[in-house]
Amino acid sequence: MTVGAGRISGSRLLADVRPERLAYAAAICAGLVWLLVFPLYTHDQYWQSVLIFGFVFAVMAGGWNIISGYCGYISLGQSAFLGLGAYTTGILTVRYHFEAWTTIPLAGLVSAAAAALLGTVIMRTRGHSFVIITIAFLLILELVAINLRGFTDGTTGITMPLTFYPTKWQNTPFYYVFFFLMLLSVLMTWGIRRTKFGTGLIAIREDEDKAGAVGINTAVYKVLGFAASAVLVGATGGVYGYFLTFIDPTGMFNILYSVFAVLAVLLGGRATIWGPVIGGLLIELLREEANVHFGGSSLDIVIFGGLMAAVVLFLPQGVVPTVSAWLQRRRTRHIPGVSELAIDLRAAGVPVSTGPRGSDRRLLEVDGLEKRFGGVRAVDGLSFHVREGTITGLIGPNGSGKTTAFNLIDGMMKPDGGEVRLDGRRLTGRPTWERAHLGLGRTFQITRLFRRMTVLENVVAPLRAFKWSQLAAGAVAGHEVRRAEELLEFVGMLRFRDTEAGALSYGQQKLVELAQILMLDPKLIMLDEPAGGINPTLIERLAEKIRELNAMGKTFLIVEHNMPLVAELCDPVIVLARGKTIAAGPAAEIQADPEVLDAYLGEGWTADEMANV
Amino acid sequence: MSFLCLRGVVCGYGGGDVLQGLDLDVEQGAITCIVGPNGAGKSTVLRTVSGLLRPRLGTVRIGDADITRARPNEVLRHGIVQVPQSNGIFPHMTIRENVLMGGYPLRRDRALLRRRYDEVAELFPLVRERAGERAGNLSGGQRRQVEFARSLISDPRLVLLDEPSLGLDPKALKLVFDNVKLMNEAGKTILIVEQNVRIGLGVASFGVVMESGKVRLAGRSREVLDHPEIADLYLGGSARRRAQATPAREAG
Repeated sequence: MTVGAGRISGSRLLADVRPERLAYAAAICAGLVWLLVFPLYTHDQYWQSVLIFGFVFAVMAGGWNIISGYCGYISLGQSAFLGLGAYTTGILTVRYHFEAWTTIPLAGLVSAAAAALLGTVIMRTRGHSFVIITIAFLLILELVAINLRGFTDGTTGITMPLTFYPTKWQNTPFYYVFFFLMLLSVLMTWGIRRTKFGTGLIAIREDEDKAGAVGINTAVYKVLGFAASAVLVGATGGVYGYFLTFIDPTGMFNILYSVFAVLAVLLGGRATIWGPVIGGLLIELLREEANVHFGGSSLDIVIFGGLMAAVVLFLPQGVVPTVSAWLQRRRTRHIPGVSELAIDLRAAGVPVSTGPRGSDRRLLEVDGLEKRFGGVRAVDGLSFHVREGTITGLIGPNGSGKTTAFNLIDGMMKPDGGEVRLDGRRLTGRPTWERAHLGLGRTFQITRLFRRMTVLENVVAPLRAFKWSQLAAGAVAGHEVRRAEELLEFVGMLRFRDTEAGALSYGQQKLVELAQILMLDPKLIMLDEPAGGINPTLIERLAEKIRELNAMGKTFLIVEHNMPLVAELCDPVIVLARGKTIAAGPAAEIQADPEVLDAYLGEGWTADEMANV
Repeated sequence: MSFLCLRGVVCGYGGGDVLQGLDLDVEQGAITCIVGPNGAGKSTVLRTVSGLLRPRLGTVRIGDADITRARPNEVLRHGIVQVPQSNGIFPHMTIRENVLMGGYPLRRDRALLRRRYDEVAELFPLVRERAGERAGNLSGGQRRQVEFARSLISDPRLVLLDEPSLGLDPKALKLVFDNVKLMNEAGKTILIVEQNVRIGLGVASFGVVMESGKVRLAGRSREVLDHPEIADLYLGGSARRRAQATPAREAG
C-alpha cells in the first residue's frame, strides 16, 4: 500500500472519491467496535482467551511487519522479545517488588534495547545468515533463562502474583490491555509509514545499496527498525507473564510463536497497516480449531505447514494487498494507464544551488584505484580527475571497468587499492550515504528506483544529511514536496508523481532517477548511461538539461556509449580499456586516436553510422 | 492475413490500460521495428505477445492460432521466443549451458537438441569457440549473442527483441545488429523494440511508430524515417536532418 501525499492531485491516475476505501475503513471500524464490546455482552471465557492470544499474535506480527515487512529483514526472533519482556516483569516483580504496571514499559524498553544491541552486531549480515542469527538469539536467551537460576529459577519458572482486581472480572481487564497494546501496535505501524524513518526502512527493503547511495544512513535506520519491532512485543510479553501467572523458559521462548507471527503477516499482507492484525486473529482462530479437533497430537503443526504452503501458492501477497489490488484493477478498468501521459519537457527552472564555474579545481580525484574479481582485474590502477565545472565523459568498451569505477567512487564496492578524493576529502572507507552527504550523486545503468514507492516518494527519499530529528519528520511533506515537484517538472515527469515507480517504462525510470539524484543537490553528478533506452528526441532535451545544470555550476561525470552525444556534450573525454585510462582529451582528439578506435569505436567508425541523435 | 496479428488489444498492469486498442501486423520473414516515445507501451506489446501479460480485450494471433490467453510456455510452443531487455544470462553457467537452457522444452529429445545446438553453434562463432567458458566473463555484446543463440535453439518462428542495443558499446552494437540480420537471414521473423531509432529502422524492413498505447504509423521503415512529422516528434531533429542529407541510403 503506497500512501499518497495527502494533497489531492489533479492527476487522472488518482480517482478522487473511492467508495471501496470508505467500505474498507467502515469494515475495520465495525470489527474494532465488535472487539471492543465483545466482553461486555458475553462472559464466554473461552472466546475471550482465544481473542487475547489473537491480540498477542497481532502485536508480534505488527513488530515483525516493521523489521521484515517494511525493512525486508526476515527475523525469526520475535518470541525472544516476548520472552524477554515476560522475564523482565517477572524478575522485577518477584525479586525487586516493582509495582505491576511500572514493569510493563520497562519490559518494552529492555526488549527494544536488546534488539538494538543485537541489531548493531548482526546488521552487517543479510539474507539467510540474518534469519539464522535471530533463531540463535532466541535459543541463547532460552538457555540463559534455564541456567541463570539465581534470577529465573531455571526450568522451575517464575510464579507471578495473582492480579489485584476482583476475581469476578476474570480475564476482562487483560482483554482490554492486550487490545490496547494491539491498537498501539497498529498506531505505530501507521505512524512509522508516515515518517522519513518509515520510507527509509522501505527504501532499504527495496534496494539497500541504493538507499545508501541517496544518503540514507542505513545502519542507524536498521538498528532503530529492529528496536521498534521489539518494543511493543516486549511490553506485551510483560503483560503476558501476568496473564499466564507463570513464566518458564520453554513456554516463553517458543520458536513456534515466532513462526505464527511470520505466518500472520504473510497471511494478512506484508507492509500493510491492518494485515498483521487480520493475520494474527485468523492464525489464532485456526490454531484453536486445530487444537480442538486434533488436540494433543502434533497434527496442528502439519496443518500450519499446509497453510503456509497454501498462502505462498494462492495468496502470495496476503489478504489486504490482494483485495486492494483487485479493487484497484476494477476501479481502473476503463481509465487510460500511464502510456496516456506524455513526458512533458517544458522549460522549467531547476531548484539546485549554483556553484563556481571553470575554477580549474580538481573536484574528483581518482588515484591508482584497483579492484579484482577473482583473477580478473576489473579496475587496474585507474587514475583520472574531474575538474570543477566540466562535463567529463567516461567511455570505453563493455567490461572496461566504467561501472566498477563508479561503484568504487560512490562506495558500493570496496577497492583493493587506491584512493578517491572529493573536493580534497578522502572518500575511501566512508559508507555510501556519507559520500552522498558530501556531494556525490549517482544514477545507475539499469535504473534502481524503489519500485513499490510512488514517483514522488522516490524523489523525496534522498537525504542530504543525517539528523535524529529527520526520523520523525513527515515522509512526504512541506517544502521538500515543492522541490521534488519542481525537479519532476524539470525532467518532464511531474504528471507521473502518484504513479508507482515500478509501473513506469525503463526510459521514464531513468528520468525519475535523475530527478531523485538532483534532490541531493550534489556537487558531482555521475550519470551511468543517461541516454540508454531513451527516445532520441528526449535525448536531445536531456542534453539541454545537462548543459543547463552545468551552466549553474554542476559538475558531471558521464558514462555513455552514444558517441554523438558524448562528442556534443563532454569535454574532456576519458577513455578506459581493461581497467586503465588509455586516453584523455577533447572529444575530437579522442575520436581520431588510433588506440581508441581499435579498443572502442571499431574500424571504419564514423559518427554518422552509429548516430543515435 | 499477416503472420503475427494483434487486433484491438487493451491491456495494462493493474493501474489502467497501457495498450488502448492496439492493431499491429508483423510480416512473416521480415524484421519489424517498433519505435516511439518512452512509456508509449512498446515493451508492453512484446509482453502481451509472449504471454507475460494477458490482454483485457482484443486478440493476438500467430499464423492460424489464437494465443490471446496463452501462458508463456504455451506461447513458446507456438514458436515465439522473447529476448528480455537486460540481464538475461546465467553468469555462473558456461556458454554452452546457457545456450542449452533455451532448449528446455526439447529436453526429452536429446538427438534433436544436439542437432539444434550444432546448428546454432554454426551460426554464432562465439558459441562454437568458447562453449566451455563461464558466461559471466563475457562482455555486454557477447552476452547478447549468447542470448540470441539461446533463443534460436528452440527453432522459433518469431523472435521478440526488447532493446537489443541497451548498454552496448559501438563495436558491440554493430556486432549485435549484424547478428539480428543473421538470424533474419536464417529465416526468423523478428520484432524489435528499439530506442536507437536509426540503427533499429536501419536493419528493419518495416517500422511501427507507437504513441499513447496505439499505433500512430506503420509502413516501410524508409517511409517512417522520412515522415517529416514523425521524425520531428520521435526520431530526434538531428536524425531527420541527417536522414535528409543522405537520401540514397537504403533501408533494410
